[in-house]
Amino acid sequence: MARVIDLHLHSEVSDDSRAPVEAYLKWLARKRDERPLDGIVLTEHRQFDTRSDYRDLEDKYGMLILKASEVETEYGHVLVYGVNDAMLQRFDFSNVRLRAQEVIDEVARMGGVAMPCHPGRPTIGLIEHYENRPPLEGVVGVEALNGGSKKGENERVATLIDTYGYHAFGGSDAHLVSFVGICATEFEKEITNTEELVGALRAGGYRPVDFRVRRAPAQPASSGT
Amino acid sequence: MALEFDRSILGQVFDETDFPPVEKADLLQFADALGETNPLYTDEAVAANGPYSGLVAAPTYVTRLRPKKMTPEHMPRFGKVGFDGGRDVEIFAPVRPGDRLKMVSTIHDIYEKTGRSGSMYFIVLRNEITNQDGQKIAIVDHRIMQR
Repeated sequence: MARVIDLHLHSEVSDDSRAPVEAYLKWLARKRDERPLDGIVLTEHRQFDTRSDYRDLEDKYGMLILKASEVETEYGHVLVYGVNDAMLQRFDFSNVRLRAQEVIDEVARMGGVAMPCHPGRPTIGLIEHYENRPPLEGVVGVEALNGGSKKGENERVATLIDTYGYHAFGGSDAHLVSFVGICATEFEKEITNTEELVGALRAGGYRPVDFRVRRAPAQPASSGT
Repeated sequence: MALEFDRSILGQVFDETDFPPVEKADLLQFADALGETNPLYTDEAVAANGPYSGLVAAPTYVTRLRPKKMTPEHMPRFGKVGFDGGRDVEIFAPVRPGDRLKMVSTIHDIYEKTGRSGSMYFIVLRNEITNQDGQKIAIVDHRIMQR
């Protein structure tokens, strides 16, 4: 069962990460005090990982491990939770020009939920595209807190959420082991599987949580006069 | 629509290179250049009692092997400029002095992705290295990024 889950990270299955899933889990075990996570969701780029089976690792580390996907659309990148065979037949996940509205509508119809990630990021974030295109329909939430975002990118999301009433969630977007769990999502209800995750993401009742360690600003040395 | 190109080029061999026997001095020089301190790669006497029963190359030695043709003659072009996107190295067995290595090169994968600065195209050139016994030594995937 999990309440605090990193909803966005990449393992060595993605082309731009070399992080083994077990290394993530070992790191989280070491960092338990700083990043009290109960689960992770692997969101591999432009694919759904049908081959990996993490059940043994779940048992070994006592963590919920779920699988999802990060796909690419004309409105930027979108996380797809609850991926199933019907979705994989309907969409070519490797296509970087998927139609966002189709993805959101069809994924919902097929039992999942599609949620835009890092919306404040240039080119691949929702906000920039909303400046030139009509807003998408059926978006239930956006990744308000992304651990890989640059300064200012997460800050842009508050206005988007206020304007459209989206739910807000968080994820580390980790590609490196040490980044896992720096941002996550806290749910009001326990999550035990993908179906419950999809239901919770649709319904609301969660918030982004930031576990990044903030260094205290340096204090000026006393003059010692 | 997914990236379009002639998929029959994937897996086609575009180069086969046979290298002269690996020299012990070359392995030691390579380890020295890396600042390697592990005696398995730097000290023949210690390595003789180690897990490989002799001196072996530091693991990334295989990245210094250069095929006759670095890229295929008709490599697809998807952008105006290309960058070295780095190498992934998977090691299967150690390189030893006297080994006669062979490298077979293929186009392993081509894909597109989008990032902060727009579309990028990746061509993955796979270099598979074997020794004189046909034993697989390493796979070096060389990514070339185009935009």
